[in-house]
This record gives sequence, C-alpha cells and structure tokens, in this order.
Amino acid sequence: MPTQPPLPPLLAPYVSSLPPSSLIVLSTVLGAQGNWLTLRYLYAALNASSTSDAALILGERHNGKKQKVVLVSFLRGWEFWRAEAKRLGLDLARLTDKRQFAFVDGLSELFSGPRTTPTTTTTTTTQTTPPSLVPSPRGGPVPQRTILPSRSAPGPIPARGPQPARGPAAVAAPAPLTPSAPSAPPASSREIGPVKRLHLSGKGPAALDRLEKDIAAVVAHLSGRATATAEGEDDSEVLLVLDQPDLLLAATGPGQGIGATEMTEWVMGLQQYVHATVMTLAADLPLIHNASAAAHQMPTPLETEHAAFAIGSAHRAHLVMQLRDLDTGAARDVSGVLRVSKGGAWGQSDNTDANGSWEEKEALYFVQRDGGVSVFGRGE
Amino acid sequence: MSFRKRNIGLSTGGDRTGSVNASAQSQQAPAAPESTPGVRPSPDDGRPTTSTGTPSLDNILAGHGGLPIGKTLLVEENGTTDFAGALLRYYAAEGVVQDHRVHVVGMPEQWGRSLPGLIGPADAVDDKQDKRKGERMKIAWRYERLGEFGAGIAGSRVPTATSGDQSQPTADGSPDKRPAFCHAFDLTKRLTHPSIANLNYIPLTPSNEPLFTTIHKRLDAAIASSPPNTVHRIVIPSLLNPTIYPPESSQPDSVLPFLHSLRALLNTPGVRATAMITIPLTLFPRATGLVRWMELISDGVIELCPFPHSADALATSGAATSHEEPPQGMLKTHRLPVLHERGGGSDQNVGQDWAFTLSRRRFEIKPFSLPPAEGDKEGQDGAVPGNMPKKADLEF
Repeated sequence: MPTQPPLPPLLAPYVSSLPPSSLIVLSTVLGAQGNWLTLRYLYAALNASSTSDAALILGERHNGKKQKVVLVSFLRGWEFWRAEAKRLGLDLARLTDKRQFAFVDGLSELFSGPRTTPTTTTTTTTQTTPPSLVPSPRGGPVPQRTILPSRSAPGPIPARGPQPARGPAAVAAPAPLTPSAPSAPPASSREIGPVKRLHLSGKGPAALDRLEKDIAAVVAHLSGRATATAEGEDDSEVLLVLDQPDLLLAATGPGQGIGATEMTEWVMGLQQYVHATVMTLAADLPLIHNASAAAHQMPTPLETEHAAFAIGSAHRAHLVMQLRDLDTGAARDVSGVLRVSKGGAWGQSDNTDANGSWEEKEALYFVQRDGGVSVFGRGE
Repeated sequence: MSFRKRNIGLSTGGDRTGSVNASAQSQQAPAAPESTPGVRPSPDDGRPTTSTGTPSLDNILAGHGGLPIGKTLLVEENGTTDFAGALLRYYAAEGVVQDHRVHVVGMPEQWGRSLPGLIGPADAVDDKQDKRKGERMKIAWRYERLGEFGAGIAGSRVPTATSGDQSQPTADGSPDKRPAFCHAFDLTKRLTHPSIANLNYIPLTPSNEPLFTTIHKRLDAAIASSPPNTVHRIVIPSLLNPTIYPPESSQPDSVLPFLHSLRALLNTPGVRATAMITIPLTLFPRATGLVRWMELISDGVIELCPFPHSADALATSGAATSHEEPPQGMLKTHRLPVLHERGGGSDQNVGQDWAFTLSRRRFEIKPFSLPPAEGDKEGQDGAVPGNMPKKADLEF
C-alpha cells in the first residue's frame, strides 16, 4: 500500500461527491499526464462504496447511493489501468465481476479492427474473471483475452485474414461471462463483458453515433444490472470517465466529418446516460495556442478543432483540473502543478453542497515510485 | 555473405540460424518470460525490458535499464544530421544479435546491410574500465544481484562472449547492464550475423488502400505468424520524411491512426514487441499539433539537438575534461516510458541536461556540463589544452 493516503486530503473534495450531470475536464500536457488523477476518481467512486475508512475521508456518502464507473480509454489498455489501480488497492477485475466497474477499450481495435491472431486458440482458456488475474501476463504464452464481439459474428475466423471480419472471437466469447447476464437480449447477440472494444467505422457523426451506442450499452448494462439483482440500490450512480477522447478528433478531423462540434455533441450525448462525467484532454501549448490569432502560422485544422473542442469543453464543465509541468523546470520532488478552476457551468447545478466545498486553488503534486501521490501547496 | 567470417562474435550463433524461432520457442515456452535473450526484468518494477543497443540510452529510460516491452520510443532530431539513424541502427543491430525479430518499415534491404558490426558485449569495449572499477563498491546490492543473474543467463547462452566480463560495472556507473543484454557495435564495420537474414522489410508500396493500413496489416501479420514468445522490434526510420513517404501520409487522419494502431498492437497481451521511430523535426516542428499528438501517442519521446558546426568551439569547451570527447549535441527527454504514464517526476534523471557524443564505437549520453565562462581564458585553456596551438596560430 502506498504510504500516502490514496486520496490526498487536498484533493478529496474535488474527486468525490460530484454533482449530478456535471462535467469535469481534466487537462493534461505531455510531461504531466493525468492518469494518476483519473485513478483517484475511480478510487473515490469505487472504493468508497465498499470500505468504511474512505467514508471518513469523503465525509457523507452520496445519499448512500452506490457509485459505478465506466472507464472509456482511448490511449491506454486494460492492462495499464488494472495494474495501476492495483497499486492503489483497487481490484478492477473483481469490481468488474461485481458489476461496479466496466472498461471500454478504445485502444485495441479503434482503427485497426479486431486482431485475428493469437486469440483464436487461446481464448478457450476461459476464466471466470476478466483477463487480468494472471500476475505477469505480458509475454506469457497465453494471452488472456476474453474478447466479446462487438457485433454479431458472422462466421469462423480465418487464421490470418487480410480483412478481419468483425467480431472474430465469437467462439471464445462463451460461457464465463454471459451466463451472469440474464437480461441479455437474445435477438441481438450483443454481449457486454468486462472489456468492450470500440471500433470506429464509417465516417462523420454516424461513426460517433455508433461509438455512443456502444458506450451507452455498457452504461445501461452496468446500471441495469443492479436493478436486476434487486439489491435495493435501484438508483446507482454511474460515473463516466472518458480518457482522452480528443484522440478521436485528432485522428479523424473535419476531413472525415468529425469536428469539434460533433465531438462536443457526442460528449453531451454520453452525459445524458450517466450521473457525472470526467473527461481528460490534452492541453499542450501547440494544441491550444496555435489556433489563436496571435499565432504566426496558419493553424492546421487539427489545431483549430482541438482548441475549439478543449476550450468549449472547459466552458461546459463545472470544474477544470489542469495539470502542467512545473514552470521552473523539472524537479525531483515535484511532478507538476495542479490547478483547479471553475468551469463555465460552475454553480449551475442544484447541489450547492459540492460547489461549496470546491474552491479554486493551485497546488503541486508529486507521484512517488510506489504510486502514492501527495498534493501540497507551494512551500509546504 | 562472403564476409561472414569477419565479425562472428557469438559462437553459438551458427546453430540457431534456420529455426531460431522454433527452437527458442520450444526452450522458452515453459520458462519465465525473462529468460529470453535480450530481455530482463526492470530493476525498478520487474517488467520485462529490452536493450536499445545503446547502453547510455538504456540508462536514462527512467530506471528501467532498457526499453520496456510494449513501449514505443519516438526519437526526434533537429537539423540534417542523422544521429537518430545511428540510434536506430544500434537498436536494430542489437535485435539481430539477440535473435529478436526486427521489422524495418520503409527502408530497402540496403539499410539492413549497413547495420554496425558487432564488437562484443558492451562492457568489453569500455576503455575506461579501470577507472570504473573504483566505483563498483557504490553499486547497490540489488543491482549487483541483477548482474550476477544476468551473467548466469549469459553464460548459458553465449559462453564465449561473456567469459571475461561477468558482472562488470557499466559505462555510466549505472549498474544494470549485463553482457548478454546489450552489445557494442562499430559503425564503420558491417554486421554479419546469421540471423540478419531474418530482418523483415516492409516496403512502402503504393496500393489501393491507405499506406499506413498496409503497413499495419503487414506488421500485424508478421507478428501474428511468429511463435508467441518471439521478441519483436519495429524500426521506423524517418517517419513522414517526404523522400520516403507520400505527402498525404502526413495528414493527421493518416498517421495518427497508424500510431494508435501500433500502440494497440504493442499493448496486445501476448505480443512482446518494442518500437523505435525517428522523425525529422525540421520538417515537422514540435510546435505543431500533429507532432504533439504523435508524442502523446508514443510512450517515450527524446529529442536530439545537434550542435551546428559553427558551435564546435563551444562543443569542445563543453567537455568536462580534455580526456572526454566533446559533445556533439544536446539530448532532451520529453517523456519517458512508464514514468510519465504514471504521473512522472520522481526519476532522478528527469530535468537533467544531457549531451550526446557519437563516436565510431558508441553513442554516449552523459550529463551536459556548461563550458567555462566566456572570459575565463585560463579556465578554458586549462580545460582544453588541445586547443592551445590553434589559438596561438590565430594570434600571430
């Protein structure tokens, strides 16, 4: 366990008890990545519902409602999040089994389609738990991939086809995950498992709509599951964490009919399904400032759209958490600067509670080797 | 291969030529992943790492002593020099010597033939060994143990190569290098190794589907068709260089999905691969959004800033002592694998100013020390006695 408390006291008010239908934008730069902060959001939502000591930190729980998290990651795989969460004391695999957490993989097959390769033989080693429980899976002879087809699988997989068909491992998607999903609609063989893989196909808003549907299905499954088991927690709150959705914008661009406007609408669409949304965005200098009129060069469409999306999101957000490098250069005991500022939607929600505990501030943070994070003011 | 006899460094290389992968697989399958040649656990957190072929580059990668498997390293270079290309050649040559599968994107086979020749394990050629031996006592015990561990494996794999130099300290006083892990190469010679024929060239041939889609499919297929325990190295020299790549490939919607797919490929469980990419910064400046996104998708980003020729004097005086070769440029680490993904900052090398020197036998990265102040003639003269005659000539 990290020597630091998992949630640094300075940080705690901002990561827990998010007001309903709020958007929190987490802006990062190349040298100051926000994964540790994303993990704190996961921790605040997931750990609080199970252990009591966290409740002390967090103060009163959110009306006793159970919080669930859907993490959509476009730049990092399941393995990364699982390992990093474990350092924090969160067992994402177990939480997935308990239907408190769902991971949506926007990395593996977003552009390339399903990999046809080593999965065909190995996925038969089905595990009742998601792909994660083997300690050092990387490089093991058995890649533990429990892929679920995103769409109905047409046929058997060619060993190595040039045109990988959609949904290859229908063979493999079998028993361990599905039987626990009682309400799976039989007609559409859409199955939602621990790892849902997004695939961007088509062009323009239609492609985004398809992604939105996929994510919405995961959200619905996660929240619907609680009612099905009738644990008395009908109204569980789902926190949606979007990890760098701006990649979608950068990698497609207005040439393919996806611009800042479409992305904003896409995020707004996703917000409808969930209680609160946390979104990480890249806010590097070239991505924000090149688009301004003061820049000397003509901005590229990538820069224009990114700036529009990032700034627009900040205006819609309740809270903006900015991470950046230390202005005075790298230091050995400081990882970066965290600035908390009000977003454009500050104070619009009814929950004055949370807004009351939020105040703008700037602090330094330090990520230790063991994964512990300390957040402290300057000079402390 | 008429010149095969010249540089046969590993006596065991001959018997593993044809069925390298098959034999490696049969031996390695039940064993722990770490026992693959050229792969060792990181001293930091135990994840498997592999060498970049440049010991001093291995040493600045956030304490992992190498490039962690599954990570990409983006090497950016300013100007028209090709220091990054040298780094790539070391990286590829190291892969050849370690019997890794090396995939070269966009280069003709000539590129593979010009890989630097093998001298031996990296430590054997360290001419400063005597000096370093005094530093050996400072090495932490856990690294010492690592060295022995490595030597044991090396002994079983390449007995001749490791006979003289087991568990010797490294070039930078940084501990974790062992003979079997990293080798030294000579840029003026040509690598002749049995497994050099296994280089997989992926040419950029125009076809009716997007260029990068083709590349990705071929990479994917090549990795898929090899035995599961094979370690792959993906070498992408001079990405987006207009002399190699068509102009439309530098569109964000072309190259960024490719890099994203490459990242996905490397992150696939069961795939053991690393990638090193170079990009000419003069054509694609860091201040553009495209390059920034390429950096964001990569795991590690280092930038080479060679000194211009007019700065030779500065470079000369930048050497700490006259015994060291003058640095040829600055090296900046913008992002290090794993470390920055986690939040970054706690590595002792972060924020350090690095200078690099490329000589015939090695690419060395060391802390940059500022030259003596401009007016401090005595200091300069004392530091650089080699320059004395020249200055005298000028004054007369």
